[in-house]
Amino acid sequence: MSRLTITSSSTSAIPNPQAPPPPSKQRQSSYIASQLTNLSISSAPPPPPPLTSIVDRPVNRMRGAEVGMAAWAFLYSGIVAYSQSRVDSVVELEKRLASLGREAGQRIIALQMLRNTQTANLKDPKREHRLIPILQYIHTQIYRYCFGKAADGLEKSVDGDDEYMLTSNQPPLTQHISTPRDLSQLSVEAYTAGLVEGVLDGLEIPARVTAHTVPTDQYPNRTVILIKLDQVVMDREAGLGK
Amino acid sequence: MTVYGVWVINKAGGLIFQRNYGAGIAQLSSNEYLVMAGTLHGVHAITSRIAPVPKSSGVQIIEAESFKMTIHMTLTGIKFVLISSVDMANAESILQKIYEAYADAVMKNPFYTLEMPINASGFDVRMNAIVAAAGP
Repeated sequence: MSRLTITSSSTSAIPNPQAPPPPSKQRQSSYIASQLTNLSISSAPPPPPPLTSIVDRPVNRMRGAEVGMAAWAFLYSGIVAYSQSRVDSVVELEKRLASLGREAGQRIIALQMLRNTQTANLKDPKREHRLIPILQYIHTQIYRYCFGKAADGLEKSVDGDDEYMLTSNQPPLTQHISTPRDLSQLSVEAYTAGLVEGVLDGLEIPARVTAHTVPTDQYPNRTVILIKLDQVVMDREAGLGK
Repeated sequence: MTVYGVWVINKAGGLIFQRNYGAGIAQLSSNEYLVMAGTLHGVHAITSRIAPVPKSSGVQIIEAESFKMTIHMTLTGIKFVLISSVDMANAESILQKIYEAYADAVMKNPFYTLEMPINASGFDVRMNAIVAAAGP
């Protein structure tokens, strides 16, 4: 009996001349769509969604609006995997991540400036214009906003006056990423480098920012964000004096 | 209170991670481990089917004279297997920690391909820490 059922179910796939022709793919999908609309009509109308789009939310509220670090790290992992499928080399991948970070950095500085003005209720907004306070602002405020904690170090390079280094012992965003051996040249923190570059750009500090993994025994993911300032910045600093 | 080994089996029954910790366990070839993982996958499926009540879990503990295997299956069908000494009291909580390490070091690693063998160094580091904390 059961064998008969199996046979009949398998023969039904062969088109039967008496049966109506099977609907084409498009017809099938439109049929399903009409079924779906019928379904939604027959059931009770759903309540209207609450009107809280991103533009309806208050701009200056930060408390309670944080995103979980795990979600952020998972999203970043997705970003890296997506970017990697679209590039041929490590250099290109870093460039792509850096450009994404740059986009974020340019927006973050604008948002932070607005929030600072609103929360402090200042008539004239405060904006750092000297190099060292700007770097300290990134080291503390921007890092805390993006990664939940300040960077671990801000140093001046011994190689040149125009080079500064931001150090993170364990970058929270990429702490779970193990770079495979064949991509050992890659620093997944290129995104952070781009972000810092974007922020500096928004503060009129043109610079070339790169990320380098400098592991120590204690911190295998220790990353240095190297900031190489443009000559324009050095000249301006010299002109402004002490 | 010793952890002898840990296996991770993907939802198709393939062994994607296998490590021996300590010298107490027999060393087998990688092919043998693959066969055993596949068998365990099958046994797990059988035990969940023959259960007298519907929606029962599969086998959770297999105990022998000198060791026991504790099996934890996640909602997504990945099985974590802990091979330990019989007196291991908190095997379930260790498996939870291993699942946590997997969620962090494997799932948040963009260089890992789903269902494929795990060779992320970060996962090994986390596993060593978990096993070291579990006992001598």
